[in-house]
Amino acid sequence: MAHADSLEHDHYHPPGLQHQFEDMKQQEESVAIGMWMFLVQEIMFFGGLFTVYLVFRSKFPMAFAAGSNHLDAFWGGLNTLVLIVSSLTMALTVFYAQKGNRNMQVILILLTMLFGTVFLGVKVVEYTDKYNHGLVPVTGWNKKIKAGDHSKNESFALPFETRAFASEAAGAEEHKLNPRGEFQIAAKDMDLPKMAEKGGYLTESERVGYYSNGQLDPAKFRDKVLIFFWIYFVMTGLHALHMIIGLGLMTWLAWKAWTRTFSHDYYAPVEMSGLYWHFVDIVWIFLFPLLYLLGRHFMH
Amino acid sequence: MSDKHIEAGEGHIGLPGYFGVFAVLVVGTILTYYVATIDLDFIFPGANTLVALLIAFTKMTCVMLFFMHVYWSPKLIWLSAIASFFWLAIMFAYTMQDYLTRGTGVFGS
Repeated sequence: MAHADSLEHDHYHPPGLQHQFEDMKQQEESVAIGMWMFLVQEIMFFGGLFTVYLVFRSKFPMAFAAGSNHLDAFWGGLNTLVLIVSSLTMALTVFYAQKGNRNMQVILILLTMLFGTVFLGVKVVEYTDKYNHGLVPVTGWNKKIKAGDHSKNESFALPFETRAFASEAAGAEEHKLNPRGEFQIAAKDMDLPKMAEKGGYLTESERVGYYSNGQLDPAKFRDKVLIFFWIYFVMTGLHALHMIIGLGLMTWLAWKAWTRTFSHDYYAPVEMSGLYWHFVDIVWIFLFPLLYLLGRHFMH
Repeated sequence: MSDKHIEAGEGHIGLPGYFGVFAVLVVGTILTYYVATIDLDFIFPGANTLVALLIAFTKMTCVMLFFMHVYWSPKLIWLSAIASFFWLAIMFAYTMQDYLTRGTGVFGS
């Protein structure tokens, strides 16, 4: 049967129904399954990275604890709460999309984007902090501190102490020379493998990996902490990239919602975008304890 | 199941429900943070990690079931979600089985 151009129909069907589907219910189910197939792929994607984390953490737990102590759990925890709030606003966006309430939808999408942006802003603060302290795992990508350089690292300093190492508080820093911007750890980090050595709970890999000539070797230990920071930057970096893509998606969604594309009968794009956003939140829910909260219970 | 989806006007769990799930998530985050500062090694080594992962798993389940509406979704969606975790479990288990059973010598570590 010849079918007229999309604008002219000899039959009625709900807005947004594509012609290959019988009815909206079938379309919505198909769309949901398609979106979930994408999320399954994303789970595999991040799962591979979590596997890397799992392997290296089980080989070098003390190096991971040392690396984790350099991360600021305050910012990490704040980011977790920010993302949870953004998940709430996203779920409410879908709720109001179901009700066909355009204004609430747009307000909530904009709020979700606001919290997403706050998350990215905190990541900038954290990454700058790593740059300043020589914790970026690439030589030359850290702040170069030459002899005679006495500038203080006070960018984004908080008025209260939140890090595991109080000596890294703003204003009380010892500036280790770092003329080539190399990756470096603090002397205090060696306390952890020493403690494990004394307690007798170093792993097999650690007994080989941290030692030279039977002695704990700071350079070799530093190289294992380097592994932690590679994983940190790759995982949080890719997660941040997903956030940026999510913000782009939200911009499109806000525009579509504002121009009254969605209604009580057709709001699947809102729900599917919500699935993406919630997924990004779930990844962070796992990243936070695994990266930020490792060695805290050692520091009494 | 199909009717649950069409009568979506009720908004599934409603506003109080969404805020309730939100409260659970916030409590979980605060709990994770503070339990991490307590040394649980007296239970068994690695207890801290187990507690942190249990809390994270609970939070994820809340987000998936209620915010992502899996609770009200067709069984095929449930299958997709659960299958992906089985996939992860296989990847973690078999990878670690390799590394953990490496001894010393040419094939070790």
